[in-house]
Amino acid sequence: MTVEIEFDSTWQEGLVEKISNDGPWGNFELYKLAVEVEKHTVIDNFEGLQAPKHLPQLTPLPHQLEVAKQVVENMNGKAILADEVGLGKTIEAGLILKEYMIRGLVKKVLILVPASLVTQWSYELTSKFYIPAVSQRKSYVWEQCDVVVSSIDTAKRAPHREIILSQDYDLIIIDEAHKLKNNKTKNYEFVQSLKKKFCLLLTATPIQNRIGEIFNLVSLLKPGHLGNESVFNEKYKKDSRDINDNEHLKELVNKVMIRNRRADTGIEWTKRQVETIPIELTKEEQDLYDSVTELRSEGDWTTTSAFSVMTLQREACSSREAVFFTLKNMLEKKENPSKEYQDQITYLIEKVNAVHTNSKAVKALELIQKVNDKVIIFTEYRATQLYLQWFLKQNGISSVPFRGGFKRGKKDWMRQLFENNVQVLIATEAGGEGINLQFCNHIINFDLPWNPMRLEQRIGRIHRLGQEKDVMIYNFATKGTVEEHVLKLLHEKINLFEKVIGDLDDILTRLEFGSFEDHLSDIFGNSTSEGEMRIKMDNLASMIQFAEEVREGDYHAATGNS
Amino acid sequence: MQQQEIHNFLVKYFTANQCDILENTGSYLTVQLTIELDKELMNRPFYWHYLEKTGGVPNPMKLTLISDPKKTPDDIKGEVIHFGSPRLHQIFNSSKNLAGYIRLYEDHQASMGQQVPLRPWLGMNVKISYQCDRKRDVFRSIGLQLINGQIIENFHEELIKLQLARKIPDYSFTLSPLIMPNSGVTRIQNMIRSNVLEEDHTWANEARERWSKDLRLLEHFYEDVEEKGESYENEKRALKEQYEPKVQISIINGGIFYLSENAI
Repeated sequence: MTVEIEFDSTWQEGLVEKISNDGPWGNFELYKLAVEVEKHTVIDNFEGLQAPKHLPQLTPLPHQLEVAKQVVENMNGKAILADEVGLGKTIEAGLILKEYMIRGLVKKVLILVPASLVTQWSYELTSKFYIPAVSQRKSYVWEQCDVVVSSIDTAKRAPHREIILSQDYDLIIIDEAHKLKNNKTKNYEFVQSLKKKFCLLLTATPIQNRIGEIFNLVSLLKPGHLGNESVFNEKYKKDSRDINDNEHLKELVNKVMIRNRRADTGIEWTKRQVETIPIELTKEEQDLYDSVTELRSEGDWTTTSAFSVMTLQREACSSREAVFFTLKNMLEKKENPSKEYQDQITYLIEKVNAVHTNSKAVKALELIQKVNDKVIIFTEYRATQLYLQWFLKQNGISSVPFRGGFKRGKKDWMRQLFENNVQVLIATEAGGEGINLQFCNHIINFDLPWNPMRLEQRIGRIHRLGQEKDVMIYNFATKGTVEEHVLKLLHEKINLFEKVIGDLDDILTRLEFGSFEDHLSDIFGNSTSEGEMRIKMDNLASMIQFAEEVREGDYHAATGNS
Repeated sequence: MQQQEIHNFLVKYFTANQCDILENTGSYLTVQLTIELDKELMNRPFYWHYLEKTGGVPNPMKLTLISDPKKTPDDIKGEVIHFGSPRLHQIFNSSKNLAGYIRLYEDHQASMGQQVPLRPWLGMNVKISYQCDRKRDVFRSIGLQLINGQIIENFHEELIKLQLARKIPDYSFTLSPLIMPNSGVTRIQNMIRSNVLEEDHTWANEARERWSKDLRLLEHFYEDVEEKGESYENEKRALKEQYEPKVQISIINGGIFYLSENAI
């Protein structure tokens, strides 16, 4: 079979012109240098990685090099990189991108990442890979720059959308690609309509268990690889929920997906040391907590959902400010509040006012002073965050806040201030995702989220590749409150804190028993006695333990076969 | 390319461009750029534009390039250069841009009074890239004698053994080409083309197989869809770009060389 041959004719035209103008002619030294350069830069083999030679300051780990090689040589540059969190998917993607750029196969690149990671991606590509990646800030960059990093939310909006869709991309990289699991969303449709020669989808969420989602993700990468929707549903979906149930499907998926597990990489990870710090409430604090708890049995409050009572309980474990904020809202938002309702709130606000110290904050201060190193405090509540910042300031400790709602620039700035200037970063929940703080190794869980995944994400901010010290996790638990129960469940019953990142998500996915949070709400909200609550908690714990055992079994079976 | 090779390369590059080398310890290099090279490398068009408008005194920059940071004193500030650094690749490209075409005469040491005829050669250094979803390159240097049509390989290797000069040396005269340089280029082009066609193209066939496999999957995916729409067309075009095997031939540089009869 013949091959198309393209001959660059511009040189020939130039030569004719030089001859007819009698020059100007080049310098022989430079001429020789140009040939020397070319001999050094030709790559005479289809196989093998060139990128490491160009990156002397970077020492990729063996599994990262292997991934890059696999993707380029065996997966034709279209792959889902699904390593567990913290194994360096960014490095893998960077190596692949660099390899293609060196070989001249890729020039125009679009990188779509969560807004909070835009700066970090462009910084890493520029500094570690010498790839001039530009963070999208102006709409003209789409056309003028070759490598652009942007958030998908910006990219899909006008006027960017139209410009992007008219570009021919050689490579598209999408971080946190599991967010594209639903093919009915605008984001999915947007990514689907991008023109892409090569494509990398990065995700840490073990999507292999969710059969419909994997179909959507693979179809984005390689339409038809898993058949079309009707055939796929016919063949696999109706009788199995787990991809492992079907050897054939598993094999197909493995052709486009690489997943390294932490255990397989042989990398030594620093330890997690977990310390539970029991907090003794003051008389006034206990009184506030009890008053809130009593609401449940009182008449007029039956109309108020158990949920808000529980919220108040949890807030009472955090700070009086958090309780006050919610109470104020309850009063303002209630239409035509009854007299009793108003009285009840006023009564509770009095209880709030009676509290003068925050036992947890005092403990936190003590701990921060003792640690004498950088500390991250996580809290669920904005009000607590503000209070803590004020409280620490009163005691001569400077801190910066961090929230999911911050703009990208502000997030970067806060991170930088924390790294270079201040001792403490106080983050609310949404701040947990998409920021890497491995220069710090102390976390205080000032209060606990009821969703274990969020707890994982908190820890994942600092326990990742690049963390050199053991990670210290301090859990604050107020005695005799719901918080104590939740902590016991997470810590002692399901050993959450010792778990490897990613495991828990895997387990919970497998369980498919709905949200963990709902279960907890049910336990605390609907139990009529301490005993019932304890039994329900034990049940929940054993369900998780069971799922874990099943999973372990599967995993061993899987590795045993390979 | 080793660090020492890079260092030597840089020295040669700046010397060839008439820059003064202010310091050269073997581990780092400080050069005073000429105006031309400042414009070529330093990317400050506004400065030069401003200067030309106002008629100020041009002040081209000094550039320090460090090839061995360990042996370079701490107080030396400069750019660390290695094989992957953008600055080196900028210089690589610049050396290609600045010397795309050349004309040289063999500076033969013929005895006085004897007129030596110099024969015209067309020399071309080419890169042949075999590209599908992967890529490999081959470098070839080809010389074509423009009188008798003789073609030789590794022409560049032969050239650098000779003494060559920009001006025709004394007691020499050039013979006129019978093959015009323009058709010479076409001849070389045709030769490379037929060489390439004779090669083993398993790689291309394999790429076509990968391509048609993905194409079949794509067709299957859209089988039940009535309006296939733009994303189908996009995917199809992208597959072509991804896999379609082709050979690209680009010319690095080349030129006309007048050589004595027995030079090559």
